[in-house]
Formats: sequence, C-alpha cells, structure tokens
Amino acid sequence: MLQETLVLFKNVRKPGYKGNLASYKAEGGYSALKKALKMTPEEIVSIVKESNVRGRGGAGFPTGLKWSFMAKNTGKPSYLIVNADEGEPGTFKDREIMLKDPHMFLEGYMIGCYALGCHHGYIYVRGEFVPAMKQLQKAIDECYEAGLLGPSMWGSKFPLDMTIHPGAGAYVCGEETALLDSLEGKRGQPRTKPPFPAVAGFNGCPTSVNNVETITAVTSIINDGAEAFKELGTPNNSGTHLVSLSGHVNKPGVYELRMGVSLKDIIYDLGGGIKNGKKLKGVIPGGSSTPVLLPEEIDIPYDFDSLMKVKSMMGSSAIMVFDEDTDVVKLLHRMVRFYNHESCGQCTPCREGTHWSSMILRDFVYKQGSAAKLDRLKRVSGNILGATLCALGDACAMPILSFIEKYPEEFRAYFADA
Amino acid sequence: MPTFYLDDNPIEFEPGEKVLAAALRSGFHIPHYCYHPALSIVATCRMCLVDVVDMGNGRPAPKLMTSCSMDPADGMKIETKNEKVKEARELVMEFLLVNHPLDCPICDQAGECTLQDFSFEYGSGSSEMEYSKRVYGWRDIGTFVMLERNRCIHCTRCHRFTTEVTGTHEFGTFNRSHQLTVDTFTDRPMTNKFQGNMADICPVGCITEREFRFKRRAWKLQKTNSICTHCSTGCNITVEQDQNTVFRLKPRENQEVNQWWMCDDGRVSLRQFNNKKNRIMQPMGRVQGTLVKASWEQIYEAIKDKVKQLAVKKDEVVAITDTHASNEELFLLKKLLHDVFSSEHVFFPLRLWAQPDSPNFIDTLITTDKSPNTAGAIALGIKGNEDDSALKQVLSEKTKLAFVLGNPLGKESEIYDLVSKADLIICIGTVLNEWAERADVLLPGSTPVEKEGTFINKNHRVQKINAAVKAPRHAKADWLILQELIQSLGKQSTFQSTSEIFNSLATTLETFQGLTFEDVGDLGCSLPAT
Ligand SMILES: Cc1cc2nc3c(=O)[nH]c(=O)nc-3n(C[C@H](O)[C@H](O)[C@H](O)COP(=O)(O)O)c2cc1C
Ligand code: SF4
Ligand code: SF4
Ligand code: SF4
Ligand code: FES
Repeated sequence: MLQETLVLFKNVRKPGYKGNLASYKAEGGYSALKKALKMTPEEIVSIVKESNVRGRGGAGFPTGLKWSFMAKNTGKPSYLIVNADEGEPGTFKDREIMLKDPHMFLEGYMIGCYALGCHHGYIYVRGEFVPAMKQLQKAIDECYEAGLLGPSMWGSKFPLDMTIHPGAGAYVCGEETALLDSLEGKRGQPRTKPPFPAVAGFNGCPTSVNNVETITAVTSIINDGAEAFKELGTPNNSGTHLVSLSGHVNKPGVYELRMGVSLKDIIYDLGGGIKNGKKLKGVIPGGSSTPVLLPEEIDIPYDFDSLMKVKSMMGSSAIMVFDEDTDVVKLLHRMVRFYNHESCGQCTPCREGTHWSSMILRDFVYKQGSAAKLDRLKRVSGNILGATLCALGDACAMPILSFIEKYPEEFRAYFADA
Repeated sequence: MPTFYLDDNPIEFEPGEKVLAAALRSGFHIPHYCYHPALSIVATCRMCLVDVVDMGNGRPAPKLMTSCSMDPADGMKIETKNEKVKEARELVMEFLLVNHPLDCPICDQAGECTLQDFSFEYGSGSSEMEYSKRVYGWRDIGTFVMLERNRCIHCTRCHRFTTEVTGTHEFGTFNRSHQLTVDTFTDRPMTNKFQGNMADICPVGCITEREFRFKRRAWKLQKTNSICTHCSTGCNITVEQDQNTVFRLKPRENQEVNQWWMCDDGRVSLRQFNNKKNRIMQPMGRVQGTLVKASWEQIYEAIKDKVKQLAVKKDEVVAITDTHASNEELFLLKKLLHDVFSSEHVFFPLRLWAQPDSPNFIDTLITTDKSPNTAGAIALGIKGNEDDSALKQVLSEKTKLAFVLGNPLGKESEIYDLVSKADLIICIGTVLNEWAERADVLLPGSTPVEKEGTFINKNHRVQKINAAVKAPRHAKADWLILQELIQSLGKQSTFQSTSEIFNSLATTLETFQGLTFEDVGDLGCSLPAT
C-alpha cells in the first residue's frame, strides 16, 4: 500500500494544526530561517543547487541553477517573485500550502529572499484564491508583528517586505514573464527571451520567479540538508512533491509523495481506484497541457524523467483520471477552448491556430467530422507546436496530437458519415 | 570581429546586435513583420524563423529560432532556405491569412503590402480555412489615418510606435486570443502629429493615410528622392507622383536627420504642389494697371527698357527673398544685384525659431521655422535681422527697383508698404500671393517638387531636392529665371545646371569649402565648417 511521505505536509497532516505562527513555531518552525541567517547567501544557493530540487511550476528547471544565473553587482535591486497563479487545469496544490501552512512557505520565501538579496517579495496569487490570500495575508501580518518581516528580518540587518498581488484571472499570467508584465501593471503577455528574467526581469532588474511549492521545499532543504532531500526521490528527481489527483477516482485530493513512486499506485492505492467500479480510459499525468496516457502506459515511476520517456510530462504534478464513459472528443474540445480563450493572442500560430483547432473540434462535437478535418486538425496543431513565443501554444497542441494518436476511433465515431 | 554565417555568408556583428538586424544591415533579407529597427523587439509574428544548425558550439538549436530576437554567436551557422524554414514560413503565412479578408482589390496597401509579397514568395497559395472570418469593421480614429482592423496582422508596430516613439500612448492592444485587436482608447481620436508614420510602418492595409486613400494604386507611383520643404528640419522623403500629380510624400530613412519619420503637416504640404488654381502660369506685366500675359522674350525686353529708363543706381535697388529659395537661387539673386547694380541689398526676414524640447526624438522634427533654408540664407550672406531694421533703413531711401523672390513678409508688414512705393517691382514665384497685387512683373517659377536645388537645414546639413514632376509649360526653374535676368540686363552668367551653380558657390564661399554637389548626394552632408 502506497503511503504519503510527509515533508511539506508534515504539519498539515497533524490533527488540530492551525497554521498560524504559534502553531508553526510549536512544530519547530522558523528554525530553517535561523540556520540560514548564519550562512552566507552563496552557501544557501549552493545547498539548493546541491539538493537538485527542480521547479514545481511545470517546467522542472533546477532551482539552484536558476538562482545562480541571477545577474550580480548590477547596482539594481534583485527580486525573487513567487508564482502562486496556479492556473494549469487540474492543479490545486499551491492553494493547499497557502491555506493550511502559509508559514512553511513564507519561511522558504524569506530564506530565498535572503539568498538572492531581495528586499521586497511579491507573491502573485491567482485572483480567485480569495481565502488563500486572506490566510496568507494573516500569516504575513503575524510575521511583521513578530519582527520576522520588516526593517530587519528577525533581528538581522536584512530588511524584507512582502506584498500579495492578486491576479485578474488570466491563465497566461502564470507564465513567468507575463506574470512580471502583469505585476508591473501592464497587459500580461509573455516576453521574448533573451533577456531572461535573471538579467532583466521585474522592472528590468535581475529576477527569479519560482512556484509556491518550490519555495516551500527550500524550507525543508535548509532544515534537513541537501542530502536528506535528495534521498527522498530518485536520482535527478529529488525530494517529495505535492500531487493533485482529480477526476474519476474515489479519493481525489492533494497527496505528498516521493518522486518516482508508481503512477498506477497513486491512482489505485491513494486514489482508491476508479469511481463506481468503472474501467480506466486514460490519465492526463501533469496538468491539462501534458500528453495523455492510456491505461496500459501508467505502470511507470511518477517523476520528471520517467514521464519524458513515455513522451509525456509531469508538469505541475496534476493527475487527471477519466473513466470509460468519458467522451474524449468533448473533453478535448473543452480543453482546447480553454487554451484558445486564454491565449494572449500576440503570436501568430497560437492566436490563429488555437481558434482554428477549436473550430474544427466543434465540428466533430456536432458530428460534422471527417478524415480530412482530422488531418487538418493534426496539421494545424502540429504547426503551433514549437513555433510560438511561450509554451501556451504547445500546451494546446500537445493534448490535441496525443488524443488523436491515442483515441483515433473516438474521433472517427464523430465523422459525419459514421 | 565575431562572425556568424547566414546560408554560408559570413556576417560580422557587434555584440548586442540581433541576427535579423545584422543580416539586414549586410544586405540579406529575412522576411519579418513585427520587427522594426525603431521599435522594441517582441518576436510575436514568428515570420523570421530560421534554422540554427550550429549554435557556435557544434550543436544545433532544439527548434527554429526567431532571428529578430536571437543573439548571434561567433561561428554560429544559420540556414534560411532549407525545407524546415520554408515550411515554417508557409505555416505562419497560412495562419496570418486564416482571418485576413484578402480584399486587395479595394485595399490601398496592395502593391506595397508585405502580406501580399510574402504570401507570394513564401506562402503555399492555398488555405484550408472553411469557417467565417473574424470581422471588426473599420474605425475612424483621427485626423490623419483610418483603421481597417479586419486587415490587421497584429504585429503591434502601431501600438509600440505610440508608446515608444511618440510617447503619446493613444493606441493600445485590446482583447485576447483570436479576438486580439488594436485601437485607440475609449473611442478617443488620435492626436499625435506623426500619424502618417503609423500607416508607413503598418505592414498591411490596416492603417492607411486619409490623404492618399483611394486616390491611386501604389504601383502606379513614380518615386523621386527629395526632402520635405515644410520646415527647417528637411526630413528626407520620396515624392510620389503619377501623371504629373503628386499623390504622397513618404519619409525616407536618414539616421542623421529624420530617422524613419516625418510629420503629418509635411505630408500634406503636397497639396500646395498640386494647386493649379492659384498658380502663375505665364509671365505677366502690368499695363495700365492690369496684369497681362506676355512671352518670356517680351517680358525680359520690357524689364531691360524700364530699368534703363529708370537709370537705377546702386542704392536704388533692393531684393527681398523668403527662405524657400535654394542656395543656388540665393546665389544668383546676389549675383544679379552685384553684377548688374553693384548692390549688396539682398535681404530676407530672419526670424527666431524653436523646436520642442522633448525626450522623444520625433518631436524635435517639428520646428517653428516653416521654411527649408534659413541656414542657407545666412550661409550665403543674405542680409537679415529679426526686426528687419537694416531692410527698413535701405527702403527709407528712394527705391526704384525691387526684386521679390517667393513670399517674404505679407501685406500686414511695414516692409510691404515700403516696397510698394518702388517704381518697378519684379516678383518671381509660383502662386498669386499678396505681392502679385503690387507686382509690375510676375515671373512663373517652380515649386520644390519641380526643380533641383540645395538647402541647409537647422542642423547645418546640406540637402537636395529633386524634380519629381514637370512644371507648367511656361514656368521655369527659378535659378534659370534669375540667370536670364542677369543676361538680359547685360551681364554674363552661363551656368548649365544647379550642380554647376552649387560647385561654383561652394568654391567662392568659405563655409562650403571643399564641398561638391556630388558630396551632397541623396542623404545630404554636413557643412564642412561646422
Ligand atoms: C502558459 C503558462 C502558464 C503557467 N502557469 C503557471 C502557474 O500557474 N504557476 C506556476 O508556478 N508556474 C506556471 N508556469 C510556469 C512558469 O512559467 C515558470 O516556469 C515557473 O513559475 C517557474 O517556477 P519553478 O522554477 O519554481 O517551477 C506557467 C507556464 C506557462 C507557459
Ligand atoms: S504562445 Fe500564445 S499565450 Fe504564449 S505568447 Fe504566444 S499567443 Fe501568447
Ligand atoms: S493588407 Fe495586403 S493582403 Fe490584405 S487586403 Fe490589403 S493588400 Fe491585400
Ligand atoms: S494595425 Fe498594422 S501596425 Fe498595427 S498591429 Fe495591425 S498590422 Fe500591425
Ligand atoms: S520579426 Fe521576428 S518574430 Fe516577428
């Protein structure tokens, strides 16, 4: 029987844990910050690098490496900005952290700010997460009161302020450069790179944007050391991660797991199997943008590299399960409409291609499909793939291509002459 | 210098320069829409994709890269003609046309539209799009341009122009996804004085000039390099005409003068060139109070006789010119007074001028001096002061003969009345202005689009106008009129062309030392002495 491994959720899972400063401190909270303040910023960056933690926002980029890219001695302020936009359909783990153990996240954030020399942190929170923002603001207020934040972070010479910035509902603002534009008060659109945020990010200053969970993991990395963190996972995929399990399973929810446990076990042990005794039809393994897996493909370790091997991705660790009654054509149509609606529209293939794709899929839904239209859909989405400025275009194209490849019969059933 | 290779052609680059910019500088073309050298890089149209087969470290790039935003590396090898790139361009073209109306037959841009051109060159020629296209409808957005949003390809050049070049922020990008569009904010009209440039940089027929709208197909226009004569900046332009009518003036890139731009007032200055109503079409002389037409021979003969009869002495002659006159004309005007009358009484109204002090370069194009050659008049030693006191001084003595070139100082000025007292007033110009009321002789000259000549702009740059259209049958180039006056008044002048005059004045005058007409060229050149 697969069990959770509790690191980030070690407090959350304790009955009666309140998530306020007192209860967090009672569990030994802010010891990592204390430790960190005795180290030099460089030492912290190198521990994070050593831990090999990879970004939990979706791309899986090694966090320590990202931090080490930060331009130094620029004479400008540096920024560490937290991405709490959590927009990828199927993902709902950052919200859990902010709601239930905001201090564990804030501690990691303070350590990160100290390591990168950031004196004003911004947390860009998905606008719909009103309770989470309230909880987070309460925790920030507690920190100011306790002297953890403010002109001298916990008695150190390091001033640190923190501001929550609510998003306005655009999925694309989760893309880190669009997030920065939005934070600067502009229309949220991804920027072209170079320059990378590490050189010119927020207000043109060196910036690192990290996911809530990534930042929270920093707390445990500093607490327990890089080695301990690495041991929790598989080589190159270290640590535990929060998995958002949803869809037709008996026990959906957020689970904390070591990297590399079996995907099948996650669904059948923790998730309690498929609802109503139905048969499994498919699994979207890492948020709606990742290529779908068939039931026979899910007996694999659940980590970044293993999913790459089966030509999918772990993304934001959001597993969406659907059963035999699911109409995959309608499902795909719904997803493509989402990406079409959320496309910022600035680059040609995404702007025109996501809409065109959704129009073709609508024909299928209305039973007006044809072999020619199916080919066209493949061609159109294939043309978006790799041709766009940000990954949203790919995020729309990948599921289309994988659904057509894995469920060709279902599309044929929607041909006009079927 | 570090070097990268574009289809095996070595291109040296400055650090910081992007691949596309370096390629264009070196004369290689990579198709592009959103990139414009004056604007920030957004890399959104995806037309400039290239295949980096070697990033300079032996490894290829994982996917096609946008050359407008890519930093080159030493030894980098880039292919722009292989199948992968060809296919990618075809795809971008297809996407761009999915919602494009393709109403080329009624589109002003047709013939100079990069969407047409690139479709032809890089497109597949077919589309599988079978749904109804996006429709926005046209919008009246201001004094100078029209917005036909259906044709927009969303390159955002217009938006970036108003934020980065004019700083006026009237234009924005609205909506998202396939409903993305550009427009002004809350239906407000545009107010900037440079809207025509938006029509220029818009790669398609989405933003078009009102002045030019539906007047002529672009491919019929003949273009002549020249400069705008509407103010002392002298923006470099092309004069575009068909069948002897000027249809538009377009800016011509000159980094030293106007970069890529010109102002809207300069563009509409073409109206005066097409003005046939008010034009002096033939030499005229006053006979018993009324102006009557005459031939050039008759008029020169009459002038000769009258001057003889008046026995004009050195101090009884004066010439007044405006600063629309070219250096060559001013030179001959001086020569006329000097050689024939031994007089140096050549005057112009010198006026203080100003230009906006602005962080935006484009604002500094507009000056209060609405003539092209104030600096030329000064360089040629034409006399002038701000209150015209020197001229008044001369006119306070008996003046028998006055030459008036162009339209200096109107009716309301004291000078006008003083000059009016002269026994013989000879005016050279193109239109029947206030001076025509008093003129005894009217000689039909040429407009700036009908003649050649040099001007000196506010920054002491010598620049050239060229003849783009033919002057009316009986009109002549002003320099020729002046030369013929010299000849008919008994002195020698045998210049064959403006270039000869320029070369001659450049050797006579200190300021021009060493300069030749050829040096001035299409882009002009700075005065050696400054
Ligand atoms: C369209 C799009 C949406 C994204 N949305 C989110 C998001 O909601 N939350 C997030 O953490 N990362 C999101 N990302 C990934 C971010 O761009 C970025 O990689 C991440 O914030 C980096 O943090 P990490 O290194 O800690 O993973 C998104 C990326 C794209 C292309
Ligand atoms: S891929 Fe889509 S969302 Fe991303 S920048 Fe381009 S148009 Fe915007
Ligand atoms: S913008 Fe170009 S392609 Fe479009 S209608 Fe006008 S000329 Fe034709
Ligand atoms: S109006 Fe013209 S310049 Fe502006 S975005 Fe559209 S195509 Fe580009
Ligand atoms: S010119 Fe490079 S993407 Fe538009």
